[in-house]
Amino acid sequence: MQHSVTQDNYDGDATTRRRLLRLFFRNRGAVIGLLVLFCWIVIALFAPFFSPFNPIEIDFIGRVGPSWEHPFGTDRLGRDLLSRVFFGARISLLLGVISVAIGLVSGTLLGLVAGYYGGRVETVIMRFVDALLAFPGILLALIVIAVLGPGLGNVMIAVGISTIPEYARLARSKVLSVKELPYIEAVKGLGSAGGRIMFRHILPNISGPLIVLSTLQVGNAILVGSGLSFLGMGAQPPTPEWGLMTAEGRNFLNRAWWISTFPGLAILSAVMAMNLIGDGLREALDPRMKLDV
Amino acid sequence: MFTYTVRRITELIPVLIIVSVIVFSVMHLLPGDPTELMLAGAEGGAVSAERLEELREVMGLNDPLYQQFGNFFVGAVQGDLGTSIRFRSPVTEIVLDRFPYTLRLSLAGLAVAMLIGVPLGTLAAIKRNTWLDSFSMALSLIGVSMPIFWLGLLLILVFAINLRWLPTTGAGGVKALIMPAFTLGFVSAALVSRLIRSSLLEVLQEDYVRTARSKGLTGRAVLVHHAFKNALIPVVTIIGLQFGHMLAGAVVTETVFSRPGLGRLVVNAILWKDFPLVQGTVLFLAIMYVLVNLIVDISYAWLDPRIHYG
Repeated sequence: MQHSVTQDNYDGDATTRRRLLRLFFRNRGAVIGLLVLFCWIVIALFAPFFSPFNPIEIDFIGRVGPSWEHPFGTDRLGRDLLSRVFFGARISLLLGVISVAIGLVSGTLLGLVAGYYGGRVETVIMRFVDALLAFPGILLALIVIAVLGPGLGNVMIAVGISTIPEYARLARSKVLSVKELPYIEAVKGLGSAGGRIMFRHILPNISGPLIVLSTLQVGNAILVGSGLSFLGMGAQPPTPEWGLMTAEGRNFLNRAWWISTFPGLAILSAVMAMNLIGDGLREALDPRMKLDV
Repeated sequence: MFTYTVRRITELIPVLIIVSVIVFSVMHLLPGDPTELMLAGAEGGAVSAERLEELREVMGLNDPLYQQFGNFFVGAVQGDLGTSIRFRSPVTEIVLDRFPYTLRLSLAGLAVAMLIGVPLGTLAAIKRNTWLDSFSMALSLIGVSMPIFWLGLLLILVFAINLRWLPTTGAGGVKALIMPAFTLGFVSAALVSRLIRSSLLEVLQEDYVRTARSKGLTGRAVLVHHAFKNALIPVVTIIGLQFGHMLAGAVVTETVFSRPGLGRLVVNAILWKDFPLVQGTVLFLAIMYVLVNLIVDISYAWLDPRIHYG
């Protein structure tokens, strides 16, 4: 997915922040997204409390479709799907947050350094980033998995690495627009070191678009991560991971439609919530988009 | 125009070199000795140390890394991507054999994306703030939030298992292409409709559109002759990007529908630990993607006479 986060008017000031919040909460979609996300967070935190059954307990005799006892039915091993979907929320949310953190931190760092120092440093970093962009979508994550081997932790790293180029490019372009401003000249004149200028003075002023991109990327990370698990490259059985659960129902579509349907629905709702929040943030931050509302 | 084309092509060279360095290093970062894997399948049971050493020598694995990379690079430029461990045949042959399937699927997916995305986005922009607008925006939100493997399974469930209209899997004929193409194209359709909508809304506010309106042209004439052509320019860019996403999306789609193709090949190659095959397929896909983007960039410059590229 490509996101264009353009102009921003974020300056971290208290009244600005209040105005942004007001704009955000006026957006119906964003509020719905926030509510859905809140529900998933609560479910993830208290999964053992909400789950009627043990998510990995096998019960061959009790295999059923959706019923009062098992609202989402059971899978081919008789495990309660509702409980598995609840526990899966933990994995997917964690995956979203960790992989975004990896991409955000390393990408922003690369972009900051490239944009601030310019010259040869910039050329080397940006050429590398451009080369990473030559691997479309899930392919870059797949390459990383090929090196590290399948597994949930490796999926987080892989998805994180695959988003580095987007953060690096965004951060660099923002740095370029900020670094010539008079206040940077001023702190330079006062003798601040490069690192201090980058992190204390530039970073806070380019954080708006980076936050929007990260929010939108959480949803994307959940999609790519569950896709990798679906392909057998991520979580391994009996982990209750949504993508893996969808794959487990694949061969039983004609007899047990529910096995694949509910985990997929869970992914859809969580990702949609993140996208609604991201869009709401973007519209609140970006004056050009505000005209569209 | 010509200078621009030449410059874009020369700029491509360092990118392609770095891409092949990345792909090559991946292969050499991989845990495990490829020769052991090769012989384990072939001769079964115990493999003698001498035999391993011999093979390593033959495969050039004892050469210094830079020399190995040199050999790989020279080979790749000449179209030799090495030998697959599993198939024991040239990687280039295997890749070219699967490529038509992926190309067909990607083009069909692209067609689906355009056929759904363009009208939907246009309607949303013209009928702005009506239910049509909300509907198409909701649909595109679902599109970008939907895991495509799940969409594929739902389509199989409805159209193959329940309605029995279409075959579940396989690569034969147009009928077998419908569901995979829709699966692959749906996400892009969502992105395209969003883009068309916002780009059309922007164009509709331009002075020349206002002039066309004020001289008494009908809404349709303004749209067709003045707005639409200009709104389409960014869409050309996104076609290239989406084509790349199609190549990547094929990884999942081909697996869901058990279709032959490069996407499924790369997944299986990773699971088989067939490193030369992974290396070759990934390199091929990356080069395809870069080339498509180059073509798009050039046609973009050609389509938009306002911008003069040095």
